[in-house]
Amino acid sequence: MDPLIPSLILYLACGLGGVGVALTLPRRGYSLRAIGGALAAAAGGLVVLFLSLSAAERTPSELPNLYFYGFAIIALGAALRMITHPRPVYSALYFILTIIATSGLFVLLSAEFMAFALIIIYAGAILITYLFVIMLATQAPTEGDQDLLAEYDTEAREPWLASLAGFGLLALLTTVMFAGSSNLPLPGARAASADTLDLLPRKVERALERADALNEGESVVRADETNRTIVVADADGVTRTIGPDAWPEGLEATNVETLGINLLRDHPMTIEIAGVILLMAMLGATVLARKHVELEESIKAREARRLHDARTLHMEGES
Amino acid sequence: MMSTLAQSGVPEIMGSITLAHYLFVSAVMFVLGLIGFLTRRNLIIMFLCTELMFQAAGIALIAFSRFHMNLDGQTFVIFVLCVAAAEAAMGLALTVLLFRKRESLSADEWRELSG
Repeated sequence: MDPLIPSLILYLACGLGGVGVALTLPRRGYSLRAIGGALAAAAGGLVVLFLSLSAAERTPSELPNLYFYGFAIIALGAALRMITHPRPVYSALYFILTIIATSGLFVLLSAEFMAFALIIIYAGAILITYLFVIMLATQAPTEGDQDLLAEYDTEAREPWLASLAGFGLLALLTTVMFAGSSNLPLPGARAASADTLDLLPRKVERALERADALNEGESVVRADETNRTIVVADADGVTRTIGPDAWPEGLEATNVETLGINLLRDHPMTIEIAGVILLMAMLGATVLARKHVELEESIKAREARRLHDARTLHMEGES
Repeated sequence: MMSTLAQSGVPEIMGSITLAHYLFVSAVMFVLGLIGFLTRRNLIIMFLCTELMFQAAGIALIAFSRFHMNLDGQTFVIFVLCVAAAEAAMGLALTVLLFRKRESLSADEWRELSG
C-alpha cells in the first residue's frame, strides 16, 4: 500500500517542527518565540496539507474530516504552548485545553464514556490539584517585581538536543505508522460480543414494551444482537421468538453499557487493584504533605497551653 | 434509528480518516511531552509533561480499540487514568515537600538525589 505521506515531506516536517519547538522553548535574552511558533505551525500545516491531498486521492467524493483536523490542531497547538509557556499556571490552563480537544477526538472514536471521564477526572480533578499546588508552591511576589519569573522557568535545559531526540523519535515512529493506511470501521459497526444484551434483560423488555411487542406476563430469555432475534417466555414457560423484522428501534447496546459490562465482567480484579492503588496514593499523599503542618500546629498548641497555664497561675496568685 | 452521540451526523465524512491519523496525533503529543520533560526545569511542569504523555498513550489505545472493535482498549484507559490520578497525588505531595525544604521548584536544586 502507498504511504500516506511521501517520506521526504515527512522528514522535512519533522525537521521543521524540531527547529520550531527548540526556538519556541523559553530562553534568556532575545526571544525567537514568534519564528519558532511559525516554523512549528508550518510543519503542522505541511502534514495536514499532504494528509488531505492523499485522502482526496483515495476517497475523492468525501470531504476531509474537519472535526478530526480541528480537534487535532487544537490539541497539538495547546500542547506545544503548554511545554513552552514560561508561566506554570498558563501551562496548566493550556493542558486543560489539550484535554478538552482530546476528548473531542475520543467522541469521534465512539468512546463517549472515556471522553466525559477524561474531562471530569483530568480537567475537573487532577488539573485543579495541579493549579492549587502551583499557587501554593510559588514564592510570594514582593512589591514591584510582580512580573518577575523564577530563573528556572525562563531558561530551558538543552532545547536543541531534546528537540533532536524527540523529533528523531517522531520521524522513526511515523515512518512505520504511515507505511500503510488502515481504515477504521464505520461508526455504525458494533463490537463482536453478541451477548451484551443478554445481560441487560430490562433494557430489552423496555424496548419491546415501547414497541408494543411484549404480551402481558412475558419476560425476555435471550436476545441475540447479531441475528436480531429475541426469545421471550410467558408465565407458563412457553417460549416464542421475535424475528429480525420486529427488532425494536434503538435496542443496540450503547458505549457506556458495553464498556461497563467489559469492565465488570472481564476485569473485576483489576478494579479492586485500582481501588487499592488509589487508596494507597491518598494515604501516601496525606502522610507526605502533612508533616510540616503538624509540627507547626503542635508548636502553636503548646504555645497556647503555656499561655493559658501562665494566665491561670497569674490569676491564682492575684486571688 | 436511535444512535449515540458519535454516530449522529459524523459518518458521512468519516471515511477519510484512518488509524494512522490518530496514531500520528498520539505520537506528536508524546514527543512534545518528552521534549517538555527533558527541557523544562520546573518540577511541576515536568509532572505536567508526564501527564501529556499519558494522554498521548490514551489516544493510541482508544484508536486501536476502535480499530479492532474491542473494548479492552477503553477499559485500559480507565486504569491509565487511575494510575495518573495516583501518580499526580503522590508527585504533587512530594513536590510540596521539596518546595518546603528549599523554597524553590527548580529540579537542579535536587541534583544530589541523582547519586
